[in-house]
Amino acid sequence: MSSALINIGATGAKAARIALEVTAQNIANAETEGYVRRRANVEEMAATGSASGSGTAFNGVRYVGITRPENEFLQAEARRSGSSLARADAELAGLKAAESAVEQSGLYNGLVELEAAMARLESDPLDPALRANALEQGRVLAGSFGIASEAVEAASRSTLFQAETGVSEVNRLSAQLAKLNESLLRSDTTSSGHSSLLDQRDVILRDLSEYMGISAEFTPTGAANVRVNDGSGAALVSGDTAATLTLGQNSDGSLAFAVGGNVVSPGAGSLAGHSSALAAQADLRVELDNLASSVITSFNASQANGTAQDGSAGQPFFAGSGAGDIALALISGDKIATAPAGAPAQSVDVSNLQSLRAVLANNGPASQADALLFDVSSNVRSRSITRDALSTLASNAQGALATATEVDLEAEAANLVRYQQAFQASGRVMQIAGEIFETILGIR
Amino acid sequence: MDSVTGTTASFYKGSLTQMASLRESAGRLQTQIATGEKLERGSDDPVAAARLRSLAREGRLAEIDNANADSVSQSLTSASQALDDMTQIMLRARDLALVGANAATGAEAREALAVEIDELRASLFDFANLTDSTRQALFGGEGADAAYAQDANGAITYVGTASAASVEIGRGISLERGVTGPAAFEFEAGGVTTDAFVFLADLSSALRSNTGDPAATARDSLAGFDAAIDNLGRSQTVLGSRTAWLDAVQFSQVQLSEARTEEEGELGGVDLAETISELQQVLNVLEASQLSFVRLTSLSLFDAL
Repeated sequence: MSSALINIGATGAKAARIALEVTAQNIANAETEGYVRRRANVEEMAATGSASGSGTAFNGVRYVGITRPENEFLQAEARRSGSSLARADAELAGLKAAESAVEQSGLYNGLVELEAAMARLESDPLDPALRANALEQGRVLAGSFGIASEAVEAASRSTLFQAETGVSEVNRLSAQLAKLNESLLRSDTTSSGHSSLLDQRDVILRDLSEYMGISAEFTPTGAANVRVNDGSGAALVSGDTAATLTLGQNSDGSLAFAVGGNVVSPGAGSLAGHSSALAAQADLRVELDNLASSVITSFNASQANGTAQDGSAGQPFFAGSGAGDIALALISGDKIATAPAGAPAQSVDVSNLQSLRAVLANNGPASQADALLFDVSSNVRSRSITRDALSTLASNAQGALATATEVDLEAEAANLVRYQQAFQASGRVMQIAGEIFETILGIR
Repeated sequence: MDSVTGTTASFYKGSLTQMASLRESAGRLQTQIATGEKLERGSDDPVAAARLRSLAREGRLAEIDNANADSVSQSLTSASQALDDMTQIMLRARDLALVGANAATGAEAREALAVEIDELRASLFDFANLTDSTRQALFGGEGADAAYAQDANGAITYVGTASAASVEIGRGISLERGVTGPAAFEFEAGGVTTDAFVFLADLSSALRSNTGDPAATARDSLAGFDAAIDNLGRSQTVLGSRTAWLDAVQFSQVQLSEARTEEEGELGGVDLAETISELQQVLNVLEASQLSFVRLTSLSLFDAL
């Protein structure tokens, strides 16, 4: 009987020691990325039909393994909200780059200054300084178009580069996950090694969801099968095989993805964001081209209708057809056709200039540029608001997941005290068993 | 921003995020104070940014309109001054004609009158070809450099265009910057339209001529002088009323520009008092949250073990 008592005490001490080890492990890993707090799982050992004949025998406690708080719903929610946020972030970054490109190119100012220079010319159409000024403002405007077009182009290149990096990251992560699945399929679910494999799995899934919207299903041993978007999407990882994600570009600038040859369109994640940002940037390039072409058309048409200072017919003001290739074509200020067709040399008749100004003033390039800037900036504005909302949702989901899975040092400190006391109590039980044995031996 | 801070790591992360966002808003307010502009980029407030753009454009074009109006105003004043001087010349010529109209005036004296009338005609020619600050002939319309040209025989003819150059002075209003030579110098004498140069040339050659009745011709010319001087006066009135109109337009431009500046201030300007107190508030909150973060992190159960 006393040997049963000493055994019970021993199992208790052992269980408390394991629990203390687990607590120490939790404290040590409080800051470890992706670490989910562990609990030592114990259960009572009891046997029927004992030697004492009371019908019950107490055999103490048994350590049955490590448990790791699993919360599939919270995990999926954190991944989903993280995906949406990553998409909004990527899209916003692309749009902001485009906004800066157009705003900082000085395009609008360039248009206004050219219009102002033309207006100034009206008061003294033969002044060489004013003519040269108007010509130079034209050169500045052409330069601004070049800067804007190049900057939007650069933004697109950088977005595309990020998407390419993202795709290779997705492929790296899914290959890693496939390898991890292989280990998970074979590992013992109660071992501490299994828990750390699951930690790794969740980190990979979280990282994957940053790039594209995914749904994951788990086998009983914890291996993850991943599909794009939702449960009916193309399989990215199934068991120990990973399909390859490939990247192409559509004619509208957006990205075309395929998994193992099947076309997919991720609904969330940074790749989806890059895709819509690229489409928006392509739209913006088209709008810039339209604007440039309307500037070219109105100035060249006015030139064609007028007479230069030397009495010759007006030559084109701008060359090129879009924002990328617009350039000043006139060689000197005295070629600006301020006078109407048929006017003599040195005419100060500015009616041709006035009709050009009328074109510029009424829904002309300046108001087109204004509309373009307004479109871009209000797009960025509305996307920022969406992003902020998503960011709150995502951080709430992250917080809920963290509460459910991460290490809380206060709780661990309390556990430390608790298990230490349990260990001491079990030790006391063993001591008492020994004393009882001594007492029996001491009977004479 | 995040209320769920159950675990250690998320507590640190949450506190850091909150403090970072406070620091960011403090930085944004500081930038606003330093630049005096509320909007850093269009997306901060797209509607206000669009309005600011169009205000800036209107302002820039109004500046040009103002400069153009100043130049027109100068031309009008110069032309008016020139017309004034030319009226004096015509008055002097009329006086001479009055002397010539006296039958007692002898041939020699008439010759002297004719010489002076020729001189007056020459200075009239000079005045008619005056240019303004932009080197355009005041009375030449939209034509080339000079308004009048003199040929080898001394005949002076108008070489400008039929209408005066007009310039936009703002709010879609165009104003002619002068009167054309014919409008100022042509008048009717004895039922025939003539101009001051032809008229004076005819008079001087009549005074010189020994045939006919020079005194009668001179007498007849007095009515023509009156018509010419009347016409010059009319032209001056036209110029004067244009100057007044110009002043009115410029005055309304000034008011518009004040309204524009006010709107720009409201839309994009920083109210210093408001922004600084906002900054102070943010800094206070930041300091308080830093302090409470330090307090909270110094509380650890491990100290009690």
